[in-house]
Amino acid sequence: MEILLSALVSGLLLGMVLAIVALGLTIIFGVMDMVNFAHGEYLMIGMYAGLLTAQVTGMDPLFSLPVAAGIGFLLGLLCYYGLAKFLLRGPMVAQLLGTFGLMLFLRNLALLLMGSEDRAIHKGILVGKSFEVGMGVVLPATKLAAALLAVIAFVGIWLIMNRTKIGKALTATALNAEGARYMGIQTEWMNALAWGLGGATATLAGALLVNFWSVNPFVGLLFTMIAFTIVALGGFGSVPGAFFAGLVVGTITEFPGIWDSLTYTFQIKWMEQVPMTSFKYTLVYLAYFLIMVLRPRGLFGWKQ
Amino acid sequence: MSLLNVQGVTKDFGGLRANYDISFSVEEGEIVGLIGPNGAGKTTLFNCIAGYFPVTSGQIFFEGKDITLLKDFEIARLGLARTFQVYGASGDLNVLENVMVGAFLKTASRNQALELSRKIMAFMGIEAQANSLMTEIPVAAQKRVTLATALATEPKMILLDEVAAGLNPSEIEGLISLLKKINQEKKVTLLLTEHVMELVMRLSKRVVVLESGRKIAEGDPQEVIKNEQVIRAYLGESFLKRTSEQV
Amino acid sequence: MEAIKNAFDFSDFPRLDRTFAGLVALFLIGFPLFPHSSFAMATMIQFLMFSVYGMGWNTIGGYGGQVDLGKAQYVGIGAYTTAVLLIRWDIPFWFSMPLGLLLSVGWSFIIGYPLFRLKGHYFAIATIATSLVLKDIFEIWTFVGAARGLEISPIKYKPPDFYRLIFREDVYYYYIILGIFFVALFYMNWFRKSRLGFQLRSIKDNEDSARSLGIDVHWAKIKTYAVATAFVSVVGSFHACYIKNIEPEDTMSLDISVLIALMAMLGGAGSLWGPIIGAAILIPLKSYLKEWLGASAGLVGIDLIIYSTIIMLVAAFEPRGIWGIVEKIRRKRRKGL
Repeated sequence: MEILLSALVSGLLLGMVLAIVALGLTIIFGVMDMVNFAHGEYLMIGMYAGLLTAQVTGMDPLFSLPVAAGIGFLLGLLCYYGLAKFLLRGPMVAQLLGTFGLMLFLRNLALLLMGSEDRAIHKGILVGKSFEVGMGVVLPATKLAAALLAVIAFVGIWLIMNRTKIGKALTATALNAEGARYMGIQTEWMNALAWGLGGATATLAGALLVNFWSVNPFVGLLFTMIAFTIVALGGFGSVPGAFFAGLVVGTITEFPGIWDSLTYTFQIKWMEQVPMTSFKYTLVYLAYFLIMVLRPRGLFGWKQ
Repeated sequence: MSLLNVQGVTKDFGGLRANYDISFSVEEGEIVGLIGPNGAGKTTLFNCIAGYFPVTSGQIFFEGKDITLLKDFEIARLGLARTFQVYGASGDLNVLENVMVGAFLKTASRNQALELSRKIMAFMGIEAQANSLMTEIPVAAQKRVTLATALATEPKMILLDEVAAGLNPSEIEGLISLLKKINQEKKVTLLLTEHVMELVMRLSKRVVVLESGRKIAEGDPQEVIKNEQVIRAYLGESFLKRTSEQV
Repeated sequence: MEAIKNAFDFSDFPRLDRTFAGLVALFLIGFPLFPHSSFAMATMIQFLMFSVYGMGWNTIGGYGGQVDLGKAQYVGIGAYTTAVLLIRWDIPFWFSMPLGLLLSVGWSFIIGYPLFRLKGHYFAIATIATSLVLKDIFEIWTFVGAARGLEISPIKYKPPDFYRLIFREDVYYYYIILGIFFVALFYMNWFRKSRLGFQLRSIKDNEDSARSLGIDVHWAKIKTYAVATAFVSVVGSFHACYIKNIEPEDTMSLDISVLIALMAMLGGAGSLWGPIIGAAILIPLKSYLKEWLGASAGLVGIDLIIYSTIIMLVAAFEPRGIWGIVEKIRRKRRKGL
């Protein structure tokens, strides 16, 4: 039973962090109807940023968040003005392949600069500590902190989108770019901002993630796919959707734990044979496919 | 038996009722006009008949067959064609290729499709533009191409959605004689929805008038325009009062 | 009969194109007779393989406009069917390849039906999802060797073996893939003039219009997807016999799927020559970049950095590809500008 609960809670915590990754993607998609394959690479960069800031300054990794977010924002802007802007003019195949090229570029740049080995955080206030929450459920402190910060970040972004002028301008552009332009909102700047915000949220999530997940240059694609699944489930363009969908998908990745606990509880022999752990991410891809086929609008989405 | 029989068609979009209990029929060989002020539901009705939207209630018969539940491409295959208003940046296909797409409905052979397309393009007077892209020819010619493509499917009836939109008077003149030609020589029944009154009046044997989703009048064009309800629909209550005061 | 004539009829291309294509064909046929390095031969074989992959993709992705980024799964099905059948039951290529083809096409119909309910980006991502799922399955499936993959050791068989397609010299492989290449080319020449080809182009243009002309759009897409799959699967089977060492990461990765799409796009998606031009540029480029830069110590990844920069440049500035540029110029010239 404890395994089940642990798995669930772990999944939820992870889910909150994943939700932030998806958030950036959904913003970019909402504002300019464009899919960014390189999204996971921003996360990867954020992870390295968090790691390096912690190692270089000796500060606790959790304090590196603003640095990571800043890097992400700038990177997003750069990618917009350097690439995305041009891709918008072309057909969809060009957009897909263009951002795919960006993904390869960033991934191999990281490979060149950082090498291919896994790296993880070993020092920090929270590393190695955990809380016992009763019923035998053990929560690593890093995960808990990351999740809390993720929630704060989420609320923060939601506030920005809904309460500030800039946020509302973004939403307006997302709903109707031409109409927004007539109101004096500059689409160009909104697009760039969307990319900046998208990049920032992804790197932020990365900096949070690196506290309990090791990084190497190749993690990007997996998280891009996870982000896509979350966005599809939550509904393209929906901020609250991204949050709840994040929780669901996070739990899916913990499915092996649930599987194991069920196998153990009910003593089902054949279930033991299935190497569920290797299937973790396959389940995510499968989930994307099923969601899109069965309920393309997602839970909360207004764009299809 | 009428060629097209629309019975009690109602179409709702969520809370909005776009068509309410509309019934009329079109006989073989006729040209019938569907008119009404903006937002009356003409295009919605068209889309329902063509199978692009499912109806909320009612039935539609074509050649005696119930086509209410059929999909749009199945209806096209039965001989009920339609044209679209939107002319996007059709980058890829040139004029001849466009028409051939239509021709391929009835034949799988490229040679036959080519021959049929050439014949229809000659009939429509656009053979000269065979190799041009849609973006390279003027609007009036684009319309002819769309018509030619629909004709290439060898339909018994064509639904024409605001085919005169964006044309100048002399082009409209040309379109009128072209549509007459299609109707008489190719024996194609036409149902057109239009805002350009001249076209509808001169071509149609009968008109059906819609307003706010309902049918308010039907009959000979000259008589229908004198109908009080029709005048009120188009020009408003105050104009009606004024005209009746003048008499 | 008409179909066969159409397949060989290139008369709608200007004389210049036909002459040039003829010369290239002669070059391809005669290539092995000239002195060449084994590296060049390997690159040529890769070029031919990827041309066929690209031509297959081009049917649904180029003419049809449906960006499919999951073709690699069919490379896998084709390759593994041939490899497994050979290793376990000694079944020759000429039986295993059609079987792989059947499996691939069958699978393509199964996932095609739900896949094509989606459009645009959603469709593209879904194709990636399905391909990755299959790859993951292969990576843990012991029957096909899991992550380590399968190896066909030529020692067991006596080359040259035309049944099992085991040869010691590359030149045999070259001519077989060249044959497949020409078959594919003639098929594509027929395809672009056929009813299905026209239907697809109409679909790419405007789906609603296409349906109003009686085209069953959903079904046309599924059929074409199956055609594309067939191309890929056949070469996949060839791949197994040629490389003799297959694993999921090499044969079924997203990189391969994207490379296939990229090639067609670079050369000109939706045109007959496009995929071939694209392959002619990208394959040698990739090979030589890897040779010169990839292996150098400390510079891991530079070849891919250059490669990906090219992708970004092409996508941003000339998405219609090289053939698109050619056609644009010709159009301008014809209008006397």
